Amino acid sequence: MTLFLLKRLGHMAIVLIGVTLVVFALIQLVPGDPVRLAMGTRFDPDVYAALRAASGLDRPLVEQYFSYLGNALTGNLGVSFRSGDPVTLLLLARLPATLSLAIASLVVAGLISFPLGIHSALNRGKFSDVVVRVISQFGVSVPDFWMGIILILVFSTTLGWLPPSGYVAITENPWEWFRRVLLPAITVGTASGAIMTRYIRSSVLESLGSDHARTARSKGLPERIVMSRHILRNALVPVITVGGVQLAGLLGGVVVVEVVFAWPGLGRLVYDSVAARDYPVIQGAVLLIAVLFLFINLIVDIVYAKVDPRIALS
Amino acid sequence: MSAAQVTADTAAVTGSAPLWRRSLKALLASPVVWFCLVVLGTVLLCAVFGEQIAPQSANETDVSRAFTPPGPDAWMGTDDLGRDVFSRVVLSAAPTLQVSVTSVGIALVVGVTLGLLAGYYRGWVDVVVMRVVDVMFAFPVMLLAIAIVAVLGAGLTTAIIAIGVVYTPIFARVTRASVLSVREEPFIKAAKSLGARDSRIIFTHVLPNVSAPIIVQTSLSFAFAILSEAALSFLGLGVQPPDPSWGRMLFDAKSFLNQGWWLSVFPGAAIFITVLAFNLIGDALRDVLDPKTMTKERA
Amino acid sequence: MARRGKWTALAAAAGALMLALTACSAGSGVNVNPSTVTSGGTGGGTLVAAIGGQPDQLDPAVTTSYNSFQVLENVYDTLVEPDQNLAMQPALAESWTTSDDQLTWTFKLRQGVKFHDGSDFTSADVVYSYDRIIDEKLSPSWRFSAVKSIKAPDDSTVVITVKSPSPNLLANLGGFKGLGIVKKSNVTSGDIKTKPIGTGPFSVEKFTAGDSIELEANPDYWGGAPKLDGVKFTFIPEPSTAMAALQSGEVQWTDSVPAQEVATLKNDNTITLGQVGSNDYWYLALNQAKSPWKDVRVRQAVAYAIDRDAITQATKYGNATVNQLAIPKTSQWYTEYAPFTFDEAKAKSLMAEAGVTSANMTFLATSDYPETVTVGQLLADALGKIGITVKIKTVDFATWLDEQGKGNFDLLMMGWLGNIDPDDFYYGQHHTDGSNNYQHYSNAEVDRLLDAGRTETDQAARKDLYAQAAKIIADECSYIYLYNPDVLQVWSTKLTGYEVRGDRAIRFRTASLAG
Repeated sequence: MTLFLLKRLGHMAIVLIGVTLVVFALIQLVPGDPVRLAMGTRFDPDVYAALRAASGLDRPLVEQYFSYLGNALTGNLGVSFRSGDPVTLLLLARLPATLSLAIASLVVAGLISFPLGIHSALNRGKFSDVVVRVISQFGVSVPDFWMGIILILVFSTTLGWLPPSGYVAITENPWEWFRRVLLPAITVGTASGAIMTRYIRSSVLESLGSDHARTARSKGLPERIVMSRHILRNALVPVITVGGVQLAGLLGGVVVVEVVFAWPGLGRLVYDSVAARDYPVIQGAVLLIAVLFLFINLIVDIVYAKVDPRIALS
Repeated sequence: MSAAQVTADTAAVTGSAPLWRRSLKALLASPVVWFCLVVLGTVLLCAVFGEQIAPQSANETDVSRAFTPPGPDAWMGTDDLGRDVFSRVVLSAAPTLQVSVTSVGIALVVGVTLGLLAGYYRGWVDVVVMRVVDVMFAFPVMLLAIAIVAVLGAGLTTAIIAIGVVYTPIFARVTRASVLSVREEPFIKAAKSLGARDSRIIFTHVLPNVSAPIIVQTSLSFAFAILSEAALSFLGLGVQPPDPSWGRMLFDAKSFLNQGWWLSVFPGAAIFITVLAFNLIGDALRDVLDPKTMTKERA
Repeated sequence: MARRGKWTALAAAAGALMLALTACSAGSGVNVNPSTVTSGGTGGGTLVAAIGGQPDQLDPAVTTSYNSFQVLENVYDTLVEPDQNLAMQPALAESWTTSDDQLTWTFKLRQGVKFHDGSDFTSADVVYSYDRIIDEKLSPSWRFSAVKSIKAPDDSTVVITVKSPSPNLLANLGGFKGLGIVKKSNVTSGDIKTKPIGTGPFSVEKFTAGDSIELEANPDYWGGAPKLDGVKFTFIPEPSTAMAALQSGEVQWTDSVPAQEVATLKNDNTITLGQVGSNDYWYLALNQAKSPWKDVRVRQAVAYAIDRDAITQATKYGNATVNQLAIPKTSQWYTEYAPFTFDEAKAKSLMAEAGVTSANMTFLATSDYPETVTVGQLLADALGKIGITVKIKTVDFATWLDEQGKGNFDLLMMGWLGNIDPDDFYYGQHHTDGSNNYQHYSNAEVDRLLDAGRTETDQAARKDLYAQAAKIIADECSYIYLYNPDVLQVWSTKLTGYEVRGDRAIRFRTASLAG
């Protein structure tokens, strides 16, 4: 176990260094100059020279990269060009919004996918199975930004039931948080839920036909017990993987929905920072998203092994 | 070198032929598949003969006709510049197919090649390829695509490259996983022991036996590629105006939700139905080709 | 986000020239009492105002974001400030005089003004605030280009000496909150970025990154305590989302108003629509370093080929005024001049005269200013008819600035906002040495007129200089000016005592919220 962990953490370190390199390279290639942008349409050569020197951007690239990497290792991700705030503070401020939307979306996805997936598998080939499968296809086929706009139009503008956008911290006012997270979580959770429905369906199907289930039945165990102890338990294993992959994807991958709902998440922070050419924030945010992604995958693998003892951590 | 082994080898390859025929038959028996074929056929028709089908040029503006509701003059109404929405929806099929087919093609060729090499040779090739894939997976799809567009500048070609790059790792992973399960099969070992060249083994023995998950992944990737193109265009990063594309039309329409529902409904529906058709076909293919195949998806 | 980074241009000149007229004559003084103190600060409620994006930071001299100034307008004071008619009125300075040679300005400061932390405001704060901008070359430093020194002979007096007569000094000092008076300890501690301390009607209480900024009424405000208890600025990038939030009552004020909604909003009696002409102007510029645009006849052909009414309709839905010069009718610098009509035949004959039968044109547009993309599409259609094939290149604003700087464009469209004094924008954009003359226009006569305008203190003579220059600029199509848009804001009918302003300054000090 320890060896496994050490090995995985080693891999993660390599991947993360790769991520910083890729981000750094991309930033160099993007046209546009943060200093020039900060000045707006009016150009003034003196101001430009002063700001440029202060930004540290006139140093050699290799020096810039290694000083960034060195600082990042000590937890110092630099200072935002735009606001002058430490990047770590900016990221911490965005984390609760991102995590709470990701988890809420996963809950929505779970609420959709478990009943539908299990029902569909148990009724394989019947009409309701076909209906569920078509519905799940609808879910993955709807453009999410489009769905978000329609939800706002229906539930905020027309019915006035829910606020159209904005974010309230769950610690500040749980009810308001719930009202605001609902629409974006449904938007994001629908696609995830549709994908998970398919996995749950095929996973349950597979374990229905497994020797394991057949043996349990032949032992004369009641169907309910066979179902809950054997079939669903086994079916859960791949579902954890998919759920984990979905969760990891939700942490930085819902930019467009965050834009539509004015949700202050990490994805939108990257998007805005690209537009503002706020290099330190881009680097820090992508790094954080990658770290979260890799950790979730690690946890998924560990849980996977715990649930299914047949899989050894090696 | 025994004759038995060689027979096993050929059987593994030729044996797939009846499966293909059976698969096709099963596919065409499904009304869902026919629905998809009709939808995709229509899209293809629009892509090829768009100029003939569209009543107007896509970019003909007339501000005095702005926001005409759907009617006999304009089946799907007109937009903020008085352009015909139906013509623009029809003429959007070509760039949409162009982006999705080319980008998936890139991802398919590059990803499958990498996956074959990594899975077949293992060793350092595998380590390098899979680390690169891991790094790419650590980036959320949209953010990576946005970054690539930021570097190369928005446009059709850039969208193709960005989406192609973003979906390459999934093909590499799917292929590698299948290759790993196939490479220990007796017929591969037999071919090796007969002294066949690696390239021959890979392309004539390994590839046909890992093609089912790849075909399924390809079909699903078309759907994702169209959604990604739409999302990029929705952020203003895809096909450039005045040229139409469904995502771009939605980007423009989101400012006019109260002026004309038709501006967002028709392009949105076009994306939805096309993506749905690709997804349903992919699903049907998966059922027919290999019910157990579980390709990892990235939404 | 869409407004990011524009304020330098926008607010650049937001200030009033009236001042130049009324208050600047030698030896004259002004002493106007602030409006009478109203009872306030209690029970007025907290106003929720939706702005288009998050301020990058709240240091007034460093930020260039319009979103920052929307907030800071309510937090900081300048020495003088523009009233509703953009005439400069006393603010932290109660009165001022100029010496006979026009080179020395003496400001008497208001007594008893306190910063939000309770400390006294003195002349040393003014000197510190201004010197900081000049010494550190911060972005508003160009406003002090004519200033020689800033001195504080006593606690309540500031003396500014200038190198040459500066008819627009007051507009520079007061037209823009970037010259707000800051507190040194707030700057040195770094707190100013998120918790600035000013002397204005509201103080910043809380800055929640990505979500909102909360202001609290300053009961000791020199102009009288505000009626509102506070203002909460929330950030909503999508105008349609902002309108939905307003209609659901979640916010009570927003300036994210899509122009196409105006007709509907006018009929909605649950909200108030504020609409007023602005001093912003939008223009087209052809790159004269490139062929065939260096030929004035080709530029004129383009000017004849465009339908300004259609452009104004498509971009602003009639909520703008077509103009062939920069300055709107409401400004005292307005000159009536409209040499071009929409005339395709004339455009074609000018092209033929220049010997150009066909040309390719790259139109540089930016997604951050969607009107540029809209106009690009109209021009692609219109210029195609006179043989010019238009390719639209849409980039984000950072890249746009880059491409503009490198001259990678044939035609571009942009707007400058909040313009007041003609020197602020004519010199930079059309003088041969102008730092914003990306179209490479050069005309010795225009240069001479713009140089003379900088120091001419006689108002009528100065106006005449700029009128002459403006006509040449229009005739030779250095810029092809398009329109002056309206400022559009909407608020709940519960909000009273608020007025929309042509300079886009958002002042909640006299507003109150009923119910």
